[in-house]
Amino acid sequence: MLKHLILTCVISMGLTATANAQTIFIDDAKIATLTNQGTLDAADMIIDNGVVLRIGNDLTSPDGASVISGDSIWVTPGFFAPYTNLGLVDISLEAGTNDIRANTAKTSAAEQAADSFNPKAAAIGNTRIEGITRIGVAPAASHHVIAGSGLIATTSGRFDSMTNESAFMFIRLGEGGAAIAGGSRAAALAQLRAALDDAIAFPGRFTQADNGDSLSRYDAAALSEAVRGQMPVMIEADRAADILRIVKLKSEYPRLDVIIIGAAEAWMVAEDIKASGIKLLIDPHESLPGSFEKLGARPDHANLLSEANIPFAFMTRTADLSHNVRVLAQHAGNAVGEGLLWDEAVKAITLTPLSWFNLEEAGKIRQGQTANFVVWDGDPLNVTSAPTHIYINGQEQSLESRQTKLRDRYNPITDDSRRQKYR
Amino acid sequence: MKNILKTTLIISYAALALAACSSDSDSKSEAKSDGSLIPNTAFASTYEPLASDDFVITNAEIYDGIGGQIPNGFIHIVDGKISAIGEGGFTGNAGNQIDAGGKPVSPGIIDIHSHLGNYPSPGVTAHGDGNEVTSPVTSEVYAEHGVWPQDPGFGHALAGGVTTLHILPGSANLFGGRGVTLRNVAARTVQAMKFPDAPYTLKMACGENPKRVYGQKGGPGSRMGNVAGYRKNWIKAAEYKKKLESGKDVTRDIQLETMAGVLNGDILVQMHCYRADEMAQIMDIAKEFGYKITTFHHAVESYKIGDLLAKNDVCSAMWADWYGFKMEANDGIRENVPFVHAQGACAMIHSDDSYGIQRLNQEVAKTWADGNRAGLAIPKAEAFMWMTHNPAKALGISDQTGSLETGKRADIVLWSADPFSTYARPEKVYIDGALSYDRAAGLKPVSDFMIGQNGGHE
Repeated sequence: MLKHLILTCVISMGLTATANAQTIFIDDAKIATLTNQGTLDAADMIIDNGVVLRIGNDLTSPDGASVISGDSIWVTPGFFAPYTNLGLVDISLEAGTNDIRANTAKTSAAEQAADSFNPKAAAIGNTRIEGITRIGVAPAASHHVIAGSGLIATTSGRFDSMTNESAFMFIRLGEGGAAIAGGSRAAALAQLRAALDDAIAFPGRFTQADNGDSLSRYDAAALSEAVRGQMPVMIEADRAADILRIVKLKSEYPRLDVIIIGAAEAWMVAEDIKASGIKLLIDPHESLPGSFEKLGARPDHANLLSEANIPFAFMTRTADLSHNVRVLAQHAGNAVGEGLLWDEAVKAITLTPLSWFNLEEAGKIRQGQTANFVVWDGDPLNVTSAPTHIYINGQEQSLESRQTKLRDRYNPITDDSRRQKYR
Repeated sequence: MKNILKTTLIISYAALALAACSSDSDSKSEAKSDGSLIPNTAFASTYEPLASDDFVITNAEIYDGIGGQIPNGFIHIVDGKISAIGEGGFTGNAGNQIDAGGKPVSPGIIDIHSHLGNYPSPGVTAHGDGNEVTSPVTSEVYAEHGVWPQDPGFGHALAGGVTTLHILPGSANLFGGRGVTLRNVAARTVQAMKFPDAPYTLKMACGENPKRVYGQKGGPGSRMGNVAGYRKNWIKAAEYKKKLESGKDVTRDIQLETMAGVLNGDILVQMHCYRADEMAQIMDIAKEFGYKITTFHHAVESYKIGDLLAKNDVCSAMWADWYGFKMEANDGIRENVPFVHAQGACAMIHSDDSYGIQRLNQEVAKTWADGNRAGLAIPKAEAFMWMTHNPAKALGISDQTGSLETGKRADIVLWSADPFSTYARPEKVYIDGALSYDRAAGLKPVSDFMIGQNGGHE
């Protein structure tokens, strides 16, 4: 019976020949389905040919299946870090390896992070093995408040890992935006409005390349999708007063699909945000008044946003946006430590942000779905837990990275007596 | 005017020490009598513990900070010190009783690498007082002179269980200046935070930072220049030390007296260094000039040379997982701390970060779990040392804090749950037996800066 089901599922999902043909049985796991089934205790799961075949209690392991079992197994969708610089940088301080920003460029919206992205960057492997299977990769703003477009990729490290080359537009406001635009927030907002108007008026306004008020013809073309609501805009800002100006901007340009990055003082203006439909990407570790625009930062921020019923997701801005994006689960865990429900915290690093980019399916675990999940050796939001199996788009992923290879070479319990360079 | 200044600066150290002793018997001037080279008469600690009553914590799962664990025990605190610790119930005359309800209790956390106060929140340019980026040799500066006691970060670190912290100058310079060890107490002045009688430290730096900062400003411009810079200045310091020891009048040189203090063993070297090969060279320089490196900080590659570090008795203060932000941090691994520990060398966690300092327990838990996943079998109680006893030892204060032992300062954290869990929070934090933070009761220090800000909140 099971075998038969397997076959029909494989056919119906139309998987490619490269998919993993193995049958896997996950035995007695806590499974965060992110569906209306909620989080299941002591549930089993059968995966065949990269597809979730069945989820339920007391399933029987199919013949020949490889069994994943253990004392405390947890399964979640792979985590998603929507705002990172991963793949744009190898060594932050080595300019040649760092494409995060282009300080002396003349372009803005037309800059595509996808052109800089390297899926082979060692940091991506180090990120994947911590259970983060998808990333948003944004450029940083340099001479214009509009930085350029960001991409969405998996962390498979494969050349085909980019799933959306032009997924969002990144915009810097607040203190950083003010500095870029010439020294004030007023200048930053004026620059942004002029750019949005240029994009709305594209191509009519542009009989020549420099007809725009703020953007060149080329940049205006690149911004036109965002201004028509066809791709989200990520706007970094923190001060409550700045957030209210973005709420106003949204009312002036109602088609904008706005995600505010940072939003440290969002709790102070929660009602306005709620009414605007704006989404928030916050860092649960944001507890300090790190600048004058974050005087209202508080560690229990997520609780307040949850109570206000505002859609929010998590990021790692206080730690790092490239090499240590991998600590995303710790940041989510600390939101739980401050009182947020566990299911809500997991949702804020899976389903919620995935849904902002039409990737809901990768944020749920249910029958018939391509395997996009991580098996953990404990509570995934706990710092002592780690992935034991990772699946992206039906494919099992390597748990090795440059760091695990260094680890193995220098492990003090090794019985390899050769010099390290020969190991 | 210039002459007057010069005259007042020419002082016999012996006379200085004597004068200081007669005017204030409590001052650090007594250091001279216990063999130190230069009396510390200036900026004396005025630390006073908060008022406290004697009490006993019972029904606690105790991690003692030196590798021991008592599943169900008590700690009796008298006059701010631990007067008794043991298994089972407490039978003596207790005073107040705090039932831990089976929850964990540990020593207060010690962060050996912090810039709270000298790079405070908010991060305004006016308060960037942690790095004297004017010359590769600035051993004359003191971190404490750049510490703003109103940094809101101190209170947040306390909420994370940090009771003692070491503030260092930055790492631009070969010889960065003196570090200072602070009690994490609410205070108006840095002197009121200074850990009484804690030794001074000297921040030094290896590698990329000095050569990057000074490469176009007269050098050093390479690692070769870095090493030449250390050696040239240790030669000067050795000469200065000889002059001091001769008993003759010496024109006081506050740059050289810090270095001479190192050569005399009074001042502990805390050295920023990432690469394994570079640490090996620095240990050779220490041998050449007869001084001791107490701790390598950041030490991202210490795991490669745990044997050498153990042999030279040099500690490493490390992150759980930071890496990659510069070339010398490229070989970071998540198991650095446990691998160093497993090779018999002294290992500890450090933050170097106003956010990281709020959850050093989680950083320890992370790296401990990764080490054990790689095949080590380090007990949790032993890993506790990475944030308690080992940093205390590396700061020269392990006779006073960093462990729960009779006679030690009662620097204690009561946790809501297993501190190796992301969900655990310090419920109560005691410094010298005084309740300084109480999560449930809302007791916590609030910086003057946060008062009345529109964004201010409880």
